Amino acid sequence: MSFIKKFIQQEKVNRRDLLLASAFGLGGVAASGLLGPGMARAAIADPTVAWSYRNRTNPYWNEIVSGGEAFVESLGKSKDFLTHLINEGSSEKSLADVKALLSKTNGDLALAIDTNDAPNARPVVEACVEAGAYVSTLWNKTDDLHPWDFGDNYVSHMSWSDEGPAEQTARILLDAMGGSGGVVHLGGIASNNPAIERLNGLKNALKDYPNVELLDAQPADWDTQKANQVMSSFLTRYGDEITGVHCANDTIAYGVLEALRAEGIEGMPVVSYDGNPQAVDLVSRGEILATVFTNPHWGGGITASLAYHAATGHFKPSDEPNEHREFYGPTIFVTPEDAAEFKASYLDSVPTYDWTDFWGPSNGQIQYQ
Amino acid sequence: MADTMANAAPAARFLTRDRIIKWAPLLVLGVLILLFPFFEWLEDIRAGEAHAYLIDSRFFSIRNAARIGIAAAPALMVAIGVTFIIIMGSIDLSMEGTVSVCAVVFAFAFLAWGGTVLSWAWLAIPAAMLVGAAMGFINGLVHVKLKIPSFMASLAMGFVGTGLALLLTGGDRTRVEDPIFRSLLTERWFNFPVMVYVALAFLLIAWFIQSRTTLGRNFYAVGGGEELAHASGLNVERVRLMGFTLAGVFFAVGALLAVGRIGIAETATGNNFMFVSITAVVVGGTALWGGIGGVWNTLVGVLIVSVINNGMVVIGLPAYVQDAVLGILVILAVVLSTDRRSVSFVK
Repeated sequence: MSFIKKFIQQEKVNRRDLLLASAFGLGGVAASGLLGPGMARAAIADPTVAWSYRNRTNPYWNEIVSGGEAFVESLGKSKDFLTHLINEGSSEKSLADVKALLSKTNGDLALAIDTNDAPNARPVVEACVEAGAYVSTLWNKTDDLHPWDFGDNYVSHMSWSDEGPAEQTARILLDAMGGSGGVVHLGGIASNNPAIERLNGLKNALKDYPNVELLDAQPADWDTQKANQVMSSFLTRYGDEITGVHCANDTIAYGVLEALRAEGIEGMPVVSYDGNPQAVDLVSRGEILATVFTNPHWGGGITASLAYHAATGHFKPSDEPNEHREFYGPTIFVTPEDAAEFKASYLDSVPTYDWTDFWGPSNGQIQYQ
Repeated sequence: MADTMANAAPAARFLTRDRIIKWAPLLVLGVLILLFPFFEWLEDIRAGEAHAYLIDSRFFSIRNAARIGIAAAPALMVAIGVTFIIIMGSIDLSMEGTVSVCAVVFAFAFLAWGGTVLSWAWLAIPAAMLVGAAMGFINGLVHVKLKIPSFMASLAMGFVGTGLALLLTGGDRTRVEDPIFRSLLTERWFNFPVMVYVALAFLLIAWFIQSRTTLGRNFYAVGGGEELAHASGLNVERVRLMGFTLAGVFFAVGALLAVGRIGIAETATGNNFMFVSITAVVVGGTALWGGIGGVWNTLVGVLIVSVINNGMVVIGLPAYVQDAVLGILVILAVVLSTDRRSVSFVK
């Protein structure tokens, strides 16, 4: 199916480029004629710092933006210095807001952005480059869009790959099962990319454990109640054959644990993903063997920091190697041994980060398949 | 000769069309309960393993019956609530929002007032039911006083409820870990957890309301012919208001059992209840045009849906065909279990 997805994506880009081109019209041509394309500008002394994202009611994005606020506070400014562009899940609004802010600030802008969908990244980046602003992207961009193709103005892109970390939690699970028995997987919404990657992680790990059978993998739609029912049905079908459970995220794990509790089953090895505070508590009690934390607070702060420091001339992006332009975000494993320490250092009090240590916690250059 | 005639007549009358239709939902349930073990049997025979039909079935076992009971109990409460509304010929789609709000309010109040049933926190249980009643009452007011069709009024109230729950929680989950409250799930009497008995108790209450109270009779009067009921001096608006309020209370009970089941209250607690409850009511033989059916039909309907959901995973049906199979089975069940000859047209 990937060729269909690719085709749709391409068509979207084409359509958007056409729309953009016609929207810009002669005015855009005239403006670029005046300033020159991809113009090199002297560093901006005091750029506006902005974060463009979906909305704050989602706990994940709330964490991201709190990182952005922590960063501007580290500059000795108030939280309100950070400009919020909220797209509410609309790529069109995302692009329109960026353009409005670019003209308002006359390009003196350091922008951190998740463009809502991958095709929207190109017009956003091109608009920023055109205006001489500095932009760092998070999560969404197409595979053919690279920061190094835009000189200094497209500073960086950060994303996460779930396949590797999911494979590692699977290994923790399979080791806890003693390398034999049967494992079931409860996944996210079947078509979601993280859901696919996390199941693939389990399958990769299973190659090294020939005595473990993947009994079943069913979608639980990231939903606690659905997971609860799927797990109890698994218990009917496989009963004692199940010796380990691999969950696609923490919410699913909660439902699984309750299904096990209803049957009076104790000590079943379970692993999950996301590192929610409640899941971390369960890890410290040993009810979950491992979860993965992706540190959205740091991700939100460092994305803003990269754009800001490139804008002020603190570093020159084009002098940096490619692995500093496109990289994976951090993944921190939480296991029973370090859960208490993890909770103290990441959840109970948010650590103070050095926002000029741009790549310390990052996880290597993004690989395309 | 006369004797044989006399003997044949009751036999012929025993299988009347009305009787068959009345008992069809139960028949469907029975067939399903025998069908899933058949697939298990087939699978094992093909694999060359010994398998005595039903005796070796994992599906047809007390332990699995308890699992189906756990899955069905909260849905049964919500479905009973909406049964009253459907008997009146209206519909209530506010269950997802109402369940979420009741679950969240219950969890907040329970933790704030002591966090264990042995303290004043038990008051959170009636408080949640009051909230459910209030939501249902407002729903009814919007429907009756603003004269908005129940479909739109309740759907909108459902969205309001979901939004309210999100506002209260900010997207977070609240854990209710009191062991006494959780004994709804963990404590078992005769192999079944307490929540199943609680659900049965509320089923009996609902049956009492339906068959032994004026209100219950009035639901049928409104559903069977609203103009006639109105002309007979019945205050139809009042009956509708009370119906929606009563439904709200049952939604709240469903919310309490749902929290008891997973120990978590969140905005997503209400998810999926709309599909399960409406399907269950219709599959059970309560007609969407009102006046026909009742809470026992709903019990059978909820069991049919829960058995199908459980059975499909147990026989190892791939995930991507489960939804399609569920849809087809629902159509089949409705065809078999509702008397469509009496309606001249369906809209």
